[in-house]
Amino acid sequence: MPTSHRVHPLPGGARLVLESMPERHSTSVVLMFAGGSRLEDDRLGGVSHFIEHLYFKGTRRRPSSKEIADAIEGVGGFINASTDKELTAYWARVPSEHMGLGLDVLFDIVANSKLDPEDVEKERMVILDELRMYQDQQQELVQNLFEELVWPGHPLGRDIAGTEASVSRLTRDDILEYADAHYRLPNMVVGAAGSLDVEETIDLVARGLSLHADADGAGSAAAPLPLESPRVLVRRRDTEQAHVCLGARALSYMDPDRYALDLLNTVLGEGMSSRLFLNIRERLGLAYDVHSFTQKHRDTGYIGMYIGVEPKKASDAVNAAIAELRGLGETEVSNEELTRAKEFTKGRLRLELETTNGVAFWLTYQQLLLGAIKTIDEELALVDAVSAEDVQRVAKQVLSGPLQMAVVGPFPRDSAFRLAIGA
Amino acid sequence: MAGRAAAERIRRAIALVNSVADEAGDEEITPTEIAEAIRDCLELGEVDDVPNVRRYLGEALDAVSDGMPADFVAMTLYAALGALREGSH
Repeated sequence: MPTSHRVHPLPGGARLVLESMPERHSTSVVLMFAGGSRLEDDRLGGVSHFIEHLYFKGTRRRPSSKEIADAIEGVGGFINASTDKELTAYWARVPSEHMGLGLDVLFDIVANSKLDPEDVEKERMVILDELRMYQDQQQELVQNLFEELVWPGHPLGRDIAGTEASVSRLTRDDILEYADAHYRLPNMVVGAAGSLDVEETIDLVARGLSLHADADGAGSAAAPLPLESPRVLVRRRDTEQAHVCLGARALSYMDPDRYALDLLNTVLGEGMSSRLFLNIRERLGLAYDVHSFTQKHRDTGYIGMYIGVEPKKASDAVNAAIAELRGLGETEVSNEELTRAKEFTKGRLRLELETTNGVAFWLTYQQLLLGAIKTIDEELALVDAVSAEDVQRVAKQVLSGPLQMAVVGPFPRDSAFRLAIGA
Repeated sequence: MAGRAAAERIRRAIALVNSVADEAGDEEITPTEIAEAIRDCLELGEVDDVPNVRRYLGEALDAVSDGMPADFVAMTLYAALGALREGSH
């Protein structure tokens, strides 16, 4: 469990966050860049994700993906990356004595990738296959459609991987230009957690910095426009199950009420003691999989509910789920339920921070997106400080906005769903 | 439960639709019979006591008239039944 971290400014405007966990055998290192798919316009949709894929294809020193993988797997480590809507992260988890190697490989791929024209074309095919695969994964598809409704016409509402049209159109020059603009030191936070020597780590990181130091001035992300009305989007598919995603705009990760929103979400639909699970699955027997979730960004967010349900019961299950959400705005949660939600939330956070990777990501994410780091104790205290009144207030706030609903299933029309949310 | 008679009639309509959807009935059930069963529900004043019940039944009737699949009609009727259930809380 992390107890004390250190933030160290680096040359060129980059920052390093460190957590020494001397009892561990591993060290995890993360290079996290501000950006992600929300900065892409329609023409460049998917370019951040494309770059992340291409960076594993080979560098001047490690000319193929095999050599990159071998370098880390040769010492038993793991290396991977992920693109999100507001960030892109490259990470490695290695036995502690190989932390220098982990950093060296990560800096190599973000600064010296070859981006061979042949690799660009091969990877384009891989990404197009990935996008088609999501079309066949109904649970994934319905969430993407839901996000289109929550953020219509905004990059946040687009799949992180882009669209088939945008990925097909991207040129190597587009990719090079975008990478050059965004992979710069002021946009980067390096995280390291595990059994490490602080001074040695600072030195290793400082020596690895070779990206441009000056900010490119790449445009900042525009906030999405307010939603005016409830909307339903039905994608007709001859599936055995209906997949429904519904919810409303909620809070950003900068909002002080985000802890109350997280507890609201836990009470509503996290785990087998949540209201959705107990009422919709256990009491009414309407759905096998029913849960809720949140997504938070700098200036917006949402709370959503997913229901996997027999098509005949879809509309009934939707009404029951909406009733559960509305119930949280009508009546305060009981002390017992709130306490259980707090213990659930605090416990999950503590479990997440058991691994060096979890700690490195947690610290780096906070530094990059929030600009400051809360300790675990501060974070747990903020969860404890939430009252039942806070949860109800946030529920009312969420419910004051229009509900949005995406449905995938064998439905020839959307009338029953529109009726459910007044669309 | 509020609307006990309405719930009873909606269940009867659902049973008819389900037997078409499941192709389980010995005798063929016609859309006219299903529409009649839904109209029986609409005749009860208690369907107006709970929001949306009448509207779901109306949607179900339209779906039968428009030749929509039986599963879709059933879903709309289940929604009406669910609305009655929620309205009784």
